[in-house]
Amino acid sequence: MTDQMTGQVTVEELAALMKQTAGVAVDPDDLRQRAGSGFDAFGLDSLGLLGVVGELEKRYGRDMPERAEQCRTPREFLDFVNGVLTAEA
Amino acid sequence: MNPPGTRRAVVTGIGVVAPGGIGAEAFWKSAAEGHTLLDRVTREGCGHLPLKVAGEVRGFDPAALIEGNHLVQTDRFTHFAMAAASLALEDARLGRADVGSPYSVGVVTAAGSGGGEFGQRELQKLWGRGSRHVGPYQSIAWFYAASTGQISIRGGFKGPCGVVAADEPGGLDALAHAARAVARGTGTVVAGAAEAPLAPYSMVCQLGYPELSTEGDPERAYRPFTAGARGFVPAEGGAMLVLEEECAALDRGAEPRATVAGHAATFTGASRREESREGLARAIGAALAEAGCAPGEVDVVFADALGTPEADRAEALAITDALGPHGRRVPVTAPKAGTGRAYCGAPVLDAAAAVLAMEHGLVPPTPNVFDVCHDLDLVTGRARSAELRTALVLSRGLMGSNAALVLRRGAGHPTDRRSASA
Repeated sequence: MTDQMTGQVTVEELAALMKQTAGVAVDPDDLRQRAGSGFDAFGLDSLGLLGVVGELEKRYGRDMPERAEQCRTPREFLDFVNGVLTAEA
Repeated sequence: MNPPGTRRAVVTGIGVVAPGGIGAEAFWKSAAEGHTLLDRVTREGCGHLPLKVAGEVRGFDPAALIEGNHLVQTDRFTHFAMAAASLALEDARLGRADVGSPYSVGVVTAAGSGGGEFGQRELQKLWGRGSRHVGPYQSIAWFYAASTGQISIRGGFKGPCGVVAADEPGGLDALAHAARAVARGTGTVVAGAAEAPLAPYSMVCQLGYPELSTEGDPERAYRPFTAGARGFVPAEGGAMLVLEEECAALDRGAEPRATVAGHAATFTGASRREESREGLARAIGAALAEAGCAPGEVDVVFADALGTPEADRAEALAITDALGPHGRRVPVTAPKAGTGRAYCGAPVLDAAAAVLAMEHGLVPPTPNVFDVCHDLDLVTGRARSAELRTALVLSRGLMGSNAALVLRRGAGHPTDRRSASA
């Protein structure tokens, strides 16, 4: 399995989206280093992740499968959404 | 009235975010000096509306008091409530180390309008740009229960929580609900109300109230109990109190500043002002009975002061109906004439003022009122010194609710507070 954390949606973009949609400030380097920790460890709740998914859908002009908002960690999330974006590219 | 084993709820902390100031001290100073904080509405998008005068909370920097995630995820009314809750907990010197278990602390708030400003912003995105542009926090931020939820999440409080979605007296009902939770076994409840009704959508919702004053002169817009009474002026803000079980508060070295001694609520129907006389009188009678308090023991009344001739008359008569001849002699005041009515936040601000008044031995005046046309001893002009052991707080709502709350001065009354106020 390729590391999708280097895919279309970057760690930096995810950190910026968390700030924009949920007001959760997180350093991208910290997010990268602790990418296997749960989103809750960064202070992002399920509504916050839903907001991030919504922003990505607008930005990339396509719907995300429901599983996107069920991802538990930043790594799982980036792997999943970048997998979707690559597959449908 | 207090058999052995009775758990009494005492006020140990006061947090205020109001037109009169941020924090109990600033609020009290402004109330005691009878400052008028009513002014032309300056909030964005409101200038064209016929409601010209209100009590705005100015100098409130939410970013300085609330974390970024809460700022983004909640409405202004919750910003106020969270800030007031923090101030109240600080005032009570109640830190995490003082709390045995997260399940021993609960939260109760009241709200009459919820998060109108947040909701308007999201609905404008919905109709202007489409459903994909509505953020998911709309699902909770507008909601009446948002402040209770966010205060409990932020503080890690897992005890009994509640929300009174109600008319103005909901603020007093929330305090009573909290006192009952303490009586049933909860150690601490953070309780009160804050509202943010000064935003375009929320203000338009109020324009239909016949009791709303649309007078443009801040000094004449809200003059309860006078011949010039022409309705009420709305305000934003509110207060949160920390209520604790008395013995536990004393054990941790906290000062019981007042006891929540009695409460009762009645309902007499929307805009039925004449009927509110009986409703309010019955609420007063039942609250005094619960407190084991004779009418003559009431040392000060914080009036509802709705500000229309018929409502003021009904209240003045209700006070004498319930208190007898003492009702004409007891000092009555309405500090809210200087700040406006913050809906459910208004009676909680009065309860906060009542506790502070008892501590300082000083009845704050009713600003902007000079020519009282009812048979009441309304305190006007300047504050009046008085020995205050028992305070009665009254509230009525536009939709017909009435409530009365009896507060008794705390046993550990510190004389230094009084001398500091001189």
